Amino acid sequence: MLIEIRDLHRVYQVGTEEVHALNGVDLDIEQNEYVAIMGPSGSGKSTLMNLLGCLDTPTGGSYRLKGQEIAKMSDDQLARIRNQEIGFVFQTFNLLARADALHNVELPLVYAGIKHEERRKRARETLELVGLGDRMKHKPNELSGGQRQRVAIARALVNRPSIILADEPTGNLDTATGEDIMAAFRRIWNQGNTVILVTHEPDIARHANRVVRMRDGKIESDTVNEEVVQADASS
Amino acid sequence: MNLRESTGIALGAIRANKLRSFLTLLGTIIGVASVISVIAIVQGLNSFVSDKLLNAGSNVFEIDKFGFITSNDAYVEALRRPDITLDDADALRLSVPHAVMVVAGDNRVTRVHYRNKHVDGVQIRGRGPGYDVIDDLTIASGRHLTDTDDTHRELVCIIGPEIADELFPGMDPLDKDIRVGEQTLRVVGITVPKGKMLGQSQDRFVIMPIRTYLKIHNDRESIVIDIKSADQASLPIAVQEARNILRGRRHLAPGRPDNFGLTTADTWMDFYRQLTGGIFVVMIGMAAISLVVGGIVIMNIMLVSVTERTREIGIRKALGARSRDILAQFLVEATTLSLSGGVIGILAGVGLALLVRLATPLPAGVSLSALTLGIVMSSLVGIFFGSYPATRAAKLDPIEALRYE
Repeated sequence: MLIEIRDLHRVYQVGTEEVHALNGVDLDIEQNEYVAIMGPSGSGKSTLMNLLGCLDTPTGGSYRLKGQEIAKMSDDQLARIRNQEIGFVFQTFNLLARADALHNVELPLVYAGIKHEERRKRARETLELVGLGDRMKHKPNELSGGQRQRVAIARALVNRPSIILADEPTGNLDTATGEDIMAAFRRIWNQGNTVILVTHEPDIARHANRVVRMRDGKIESDTVNEEVVQADASS
Repeated sequence: MNLRESTGIALGAIRANKLRSFLTLLGTIIGVASVISVIAIVQGLNSFVSDKLLNAGSNVFEIDKFGFITSNDAYVEALRRPDITLDDADALRLSVPHAVMVVAGDNRVTRVHYRNKHVDGVQIRGRGPGYDVIDDLTIASGRHLTDTDDTHRELVCIIGPEIADELFPGMDPLDKDIRVGEQTLRVVGITVPKGKMLGQSQDRFVIMPIRTYLKIHNDRESIVIDIKSADQASLPIAVQEARNILRGRRHLAPGRPDNFGLTTADTWMDFYRQLTGGIFVVMIGMAAISLVVGGIVIMNIMLVSVTERTREIGIRKALGARSRDILAQFLVEATTLSLSGGVIGILAGVGLALLVRLATPLPAGVSLSALTLGIVMSSLVGIFFGSYPATRAAKLDPIEALRYE
């Protein structure tokens, strides 16, 4: 099992009030699953995503990633897990504005302590993989929204992480470009990666094989996306 | 780890906004430039003065009534001492085995006339034989004063080139009669120019034989005796011999303090070093203030930078940067900034030192240790004042940083 979550709690202190953003979540995700986490704002899906991405630690319960307990890790250990196991794709791309595409993709490798030559080579290969082989020297503001998000996807993939964690990856894109990006995620999943998609749009969620719905800090439903699975099976 | 990247970011930021960077770095630039130039100038001054002070040879010492006076009380006490006389000089000449030369002298300042022209503020020196060595004088035309001039109290003199130029423009001063105070003296020699020392001309003098000088000035003057030993090693022996002779002549009991002054070049150098040491400390203090101000400006600009780049910090943390990676990045940036200021400051300081060297006779030179000091100081400013912004950056929560607009 890649991800094992048991009775996960996350309580925020807002003034004197305690907000239970996550209130007892159980979730298992296996290698090479394609999961969409859905829910309205305030449902706890962002909190869950932050915990899955090891940006945050729970106040209660257990989160095991590849058998390692995340809940008790130090900040430095979490940073290492983020670097090695998680590939983030954000709604707002979150590229470094001053750096070109190649350098943006290289960044996780920098923190992994990989040598310059090797970094260059792997970043180049990954950019070619997302179809941006001819845009390596472009800065983010010289790229279209779709291209920027593909740079971000390349950056998420470059360290060969266990999970690709995408937070509303099409939220800032038009529909056609959004479909392109979703197709890219599908390819990535097809290549054996585990993809977790956080979204509130059903149109996006339907690309996933499994849909987890959240409400009030709990999992409301966890269903297999029959339509997609059947389509896959028939193809 | 990503040293090159951080340095690049800092240098890029400096280039992107040259005016702002210049203003940011101004404090550091001024601080480092003043340290470099102060060190250069003081060191230049030191070597210049020691060169000039010791030019008669550092194996010369001086005996006079007052010695090295640094307080009013000491002066009042010294006024009551017996005068130093020509007889003292003669006794010393006879009885100090390690002295190779004993030269009596005295100075005063007065106006010098030739026909309808005059020059004010001229140093009038009475000098015994051997003065050419002690005063380090060479004759350009005419002749030196001789022993006979002295014993016969001849009314002759040699003059400095500046007096020659001012009193005798376009004329040969030799064998002309000039009036010094009430007395008329014949010019027998003109010396080679020596230039200025600390802004004071060294060529503005009239020298006559000491006995002539004393005759003119009523004999009752306390004189100065310069004594030259054979070499540096025998100087302390000669000093001791001279002291013993004088104490004997004055019947001073053992344990009583000297009632005459005895000054070596070292005395002057020590005093001078104390003086410039004071200047040095004050200037370094001022430089330190501008460095602190410069550091605070750098801290401010780094705090702004951390705020502006909150999201970047969030991204880097999400991608696996540890707190210490972020800390290092911003420390390197702050240090690159201050070091750039340091380098500009060093260039400015060196330029200033060169200017001083060109415009004045001071051999102001920049030493390697001063350069190292400049580099080290500006780096320390960056590290010290960069650590607070860098710590703030390192402590940012990745989730909040990512959400920052």
